[in-house]
Amino acid sequence: MRTQPFPIRLRVAAGACLLVLGGCASFSKDGGLDAVSTMTSERIGQDVRLHETGDAAGDDAHAEAARLLAQPLTPDAAVRVALLNNRALRASLARLGVAEADLVQAGRMRNPGIGFSRMSGGGETDIERSVMVDLVGLLTMPMRRDIEARRFEGAKLAAALDAVRLAADTRKAWFNAVAAAQSARYAGQVREAAQAGAELAARMAQVGNLSALDQAREQAFSAEATAQLARARHNAVAAREHLARMMGAWGEQTAFGLPERLPDLPASPKAAGAFEAEAMQQRLDLRLARLELEATARALGLTKATGFINVLDAGYLNSSKTGSAREDGYAIELSLPLFDWGGARVAKAEAVYMASVHRAASAAVLARSQVREAWSAYRTGYDLARHYRDEIVPLQKKISDETLLRYNGMLVSVFELLADARSQIGGVNAAILAQRDFWIAETELQAAIHGGGAAVPNTEQGLSQ
Amino acid sequence: MSSRRDFFSGAAALVGAGLVSRAGAATLPEAPIMGSAATQPPPAPPNGRPYNPVVTLNGWSLPWRMKDGVKEFHLIAEPVVREIAPGMKANLWGYNGQSPGPTIEVVEGDRVRIFVTNRLPEHTSIHWHGQRLPNGMDGITGLTQPGIQPGKTFVYEFVARRPGTFMYHPHADEMVQMAMGMMGFWVTHPKNPALHAVDRDFVFLLNAYDIEPGSYTPKVNEMTDFNLWTFNSRAFPGIDTMNVRQGDRVRIRAGNLTMTNHPIHLHGHEFEVTGTDGGWTRPESRWPEVTTDIAVGQMRAIEFIADAPGDWPFHCHKSHHTMNAMGHKVPTLIGVDQRGVAEKIAKLVPDYMVMGDKGGSMGGMDMPIPENTLPMMGGQGPFGDIEMGGMFTLLKVRKDQKPGDYRDPGWYRHPPGTVAWEWTGEPPAAVRSNGPGAAATPDRKPVEVEVTVRKPTGHQGHH
Repeated sequence: MRTQPFPIRLRVAAGACLLVLGGCASFSKDGGLDAVSTMTSERIGQDVRLHETGDAAGDDAHAEAARLLAQPLTPDAAVRVALLNNRALRASLARLGVAEADLVQAGRMRNPGIGFSRMSGGGETDIERSVMVDLVGLLTMPMRRDIEARRFEGAKLAAALDAVRLAADTRKAWFNAVAAAQSARYAGQVREAAQAGAELAARMAQVGNLSALDQAREQAFSAEATAQLARARHNAVAAREHLARMMGAWGEQTAFGLPERLPDLPASPKAAGAFEAEAMQQRLDLRLARLELEATARALGLTKATGFINVLDAGYLNSSKTGSAREDGYAIELSLPLFDWGGARVAKAEAVYMASVHRAASAAVLARSQVREAWSAYRTGYDLARHYRDEIVPLQKKISDETLLRYNGMLVSVFELLADARSQIGGVNAAILAQRDFWIAETELQAAIHGGGAAVPNTEQGLSQ
Repeated sequence: MSSRRDFFSGAAALVGAGLVSRAGAATLPEAPIMGSAATQPPPAPPNGRPYNPVVTLNGWSLPWRMKDGVKEFHLIAEPVVREIAPGMKANLWGYNGQSPGPTIEVVEGDRVRIFVTNRLPEHTSIHWHGQRLPNGMDGITGLTQPGIQPGKTFVYEFVARRPGTFMYHPHADEMVQMAMGMMGFWVTHPKNPALHAVDRDFVFLLNAYDIEPGSYTPKVNEMTDFNLWTFNSRAFPGIDTMNVRQGDRVRIRAGNLTMTNHPIHLHGHEFEVTGTDGGWTRPESRWPEVTTDIAVGQMRAIEFIADAPGDWPFHCHKSHHTMNAMGHKVPTLIGVDQRGVAEKIAKLVPDYMVMGDKGGSMGGMDMPIPENTLPMMGGQGPFGDIEMGGMFTLLKVRKDQKPGDYRDPGWYRHPPGTVAWEWTGEPPAAVRSNGPGAAATPDRKPVEVEVTVRKPTGHQGHH
């Protein structure tokens, strides 16, 4: 009988590893959600929770959403409902669990195997017993744990980013929905003015005071106004449904009420602050880029040290495309240094590192530019909305007053009075849209500073190819 | 100089204004400025040949200086603010403070020297409409003289050869300058004051402006659609009445500087046209009239004995010319039932009121209208709204109006039984005539519309 013992050195190393790693291989209490919640509430003032239908937390969440939806929604309430209710966000939060499980898994040795063989022949029996340990797994474990820890970190950032973006999108949807409903009401008034004109024209034609041509013109205007009203009403429905989707509302939840009017403009616009610097600190997408950079740097160090282990395919930079799930991953390859002593690999690692550096820098440059643009949109939006409120609408009112004076003096006809009423309504409608645009710009400025704004376009799909 | 103002005793509105430096005063006569749009009582001539002065309706006559036997006048062409009627003022161009400018009165055979100072922003000239004069004094920019540039003074000198009724106006950028009110009246009296003398001699120009409601300056490019029709740049109820004594022989002279004709109509009297642009008409050529049409660029003098006491309208017979600013494109609403629609409109225009469904009369509705805009029809009479505007005034004939007194005597007091009264008896049953006239007003029949459907024939339907 021959036994095939382990080389002493390996045995010691394996034992040490087992000893060191054994204690780390456990799940956290909150599954990373607390960190996400903290990041989220720092930015949008609201936490996130993961709950499932049926459990107590789920019931609480459902009750809270129902309570919020029972009264006319404020933008904050809409965001709250979206954070509680939006399934895509919950999917994103659930992915945290996957990442943590991967992390825990990476810290655990594969179970050792035991081999036994018995061979007999020629009067001799050879029994071989072996204990097999996952040597490769053991060797790569620190590396895998490191990678998975960063992936977990990345998943938390990604979840927080999703939450912040959802909040911004929901706010925007709210402003759109309220403004669209307001516009639809004004379109109704325009049609009423047009109908009054058409009816008056019809009565004038009836008693012989108006030609068929002029009557047809007034009627055509009324018919056109009806078409515009239909469009405006659909726009209101579409905007409302968009908000409903953001809030994950369905069933009876879709009966939510909205206020009649957009919130008033703030008395004064925000002062221009150190928004760029703030964005550099706050933006979650930039943190993700930094995380990737660190990971790549780590991988580079490793490559330099060993030359044999290739972790360059690690996909810290996850590819996120709208509409599809985030993809990331990595692979570790241990090669035997027979022909290639790793020089080319080191060069590649350096190139990849530099690419990563540039990408992170590029994200920062884009983010700064986005903040500046968002600031301009915010200031312009404020000034325009105020200009409409303080200049254009009062002027329209003045025009209406003057037109009425001319009607009183029999200088203009009732049709001109009605045409003016329609154009005044149009002016008020434009003022509403300007007010809406301000609030959307305000949301986008917040998103550009805190959330990651519009996603910084990823020019490359991660490191792996 | 100042003694001349004595003719204007009572004319407190006359503002003497030295135009030129003291040094220049020796050669340039003073140019008096008039600050009021009220009719000024006529001054008797202080020197020179005697004449019977005219009364310029809502205007005045220009004093002169006699120098070496020459009558010297000084006209200043300048921007002015003219009250068109109480409640409305206009930025016009005129002469010596008003538009139209002062009436120039001279006597046949007078040598006249007129200094014209231009205070307008552009060059001007004056054409002496209807006068016999040396060609170089005709005042045609570019043809008989260079334009009088801003700040410059030109001198016109000629003998007023022909007695009659004349006008003066620019012949430089005429369209603009006349649309802005540059014009004035001129009367050359006969050498013999007894020749066709009258007791009251009223003069004015017919003029028209297009002043957008709510604005102050005429639109100078308008050609046809004027909204203010005026006597001497005044619109009713801003036109002074012509107040005469019963039995007076009255002359009214009018010159037309608008772009259309005006059938001028007098109530209660017949008159004769006694003067035209060419001079006095021969008695045998006159015929009685109650309306005379004054064509564009023409002057007419009419005369009559004011024997009928009362308040008699005197106006242009084009009904739009007895209206103030109005919308000429406002559709007719007579007979249109606005119930239901009016409420809808009122929801959009809260102060909306139904108007015009019973006619154009606003029946005492006192609604706010744009600033500096005269109501379409205004003026209150002793029995209510007079419902007139524009070229409308009254001839007031009174027994006790003293000679030379031009003050308004107030409303006429009708002798008992001489005012139309309401008949309050039972209305007779409506009877429809079967006579020949009945066909002109047939019973209303429903309008039948025959619709012919045109159907495809032959092969046309096979495409």
